[in-house]
Amino acid sequence: MSDERKEIAKAENKKPEKTECAGERTIPGKYYIPRTDIAETEKNLVVTMDVPGVRKENLNITLENRNLEVDAKIDFSPYEKLDPVYTEYNVGHYTRSFTVSNTIDTKNIDANLTDGVLTLTLPKAPEALPRKIEIN
Amino acid sequence: MLIPREFEALLGLQDAMDRTLDTGFFDSATSGRGVHPPVNIFEKDGEIVLVAELPGVKKKDLSIEVKEDTVRLSGERAIAYDKNVNYHRVERNSSKFDRTLKLPINVQTDKVKAEYKDGLLVLFLPRAEKNKPKQITIQ
Repeated sequence: MSDERKEIAKAENKKPEKTECAGERTIPGKYYIPRTDIAETEKNLVVTMDVPGVRKENLNITLENRNLEVDAKIDFSPYEKLDPVYTEYNVGHYTRSFTVSNTIDTKNIDANLTDGVLTLTLPKAPEALPRKIEIN
Repeated sequence: MLIPREFEALLGLQDAMDRTLDTGFFDSATSGRGVHPPVNIFEKDGEIVLVAELPGVKKKDLSIEVKEDTVRLSGERAIAYDKNVNYHRVERNSSKFDRTLKLPINVQTDKVKAEYKDGLLVLFLPRAEKNKPKQITIQ
């Protein structure tokens, strides 16, 4: 084992760059929890997720019984012919789910994927928007 | 389960120091020696393929320089929200980065290819012509 190889092995034993998803899965491959920001504006709830390397067609967003689940799969085929010599992070699918409050207008959720960042815009239901009460 | 942000910062610092000090792979690299972004380096037909995850970095904010055996990745990821926003959760951060990597081979700089797609930067770094080993035939 050359010195160089030893260093590579050392780098691989470090703290992982990503957090692995603890749930058990029935498909092969690692699952990670994508880093997510949740911000609330007057009209919307905006969920932003880092999912680098995920293509639009491999992204699955479902909303069922107020459970919003994002499942993003990585296409490993470009890596098949490559021989790793130095690694700092692992590549894997991403998954995360949130419970959406019932004040969200679930019919008009908008999703956008740009440069590996998924942005979900969840509009608030009209009845949840602030209302100004006029005094008679 | 995610580690709370405060600890993440501490662990990140420790990790950054470990990564700089603990590996002999990038010995005698240049001064711009950040640790972000993390990279994976592959080999394919004698060519080096460098992959880095840079979600949310715009192409125009990303600069790549290659000289001899050194690669420099620098740029900025800016996250901008409107002013009237309440944050419920913040795990992503905007950051400037500048990282220099020293490779074990000299690179043919005019043949370097770079792709940036879906937040993934892929650099194809072919071995310099003068750096290629010569096949010796036995007389």
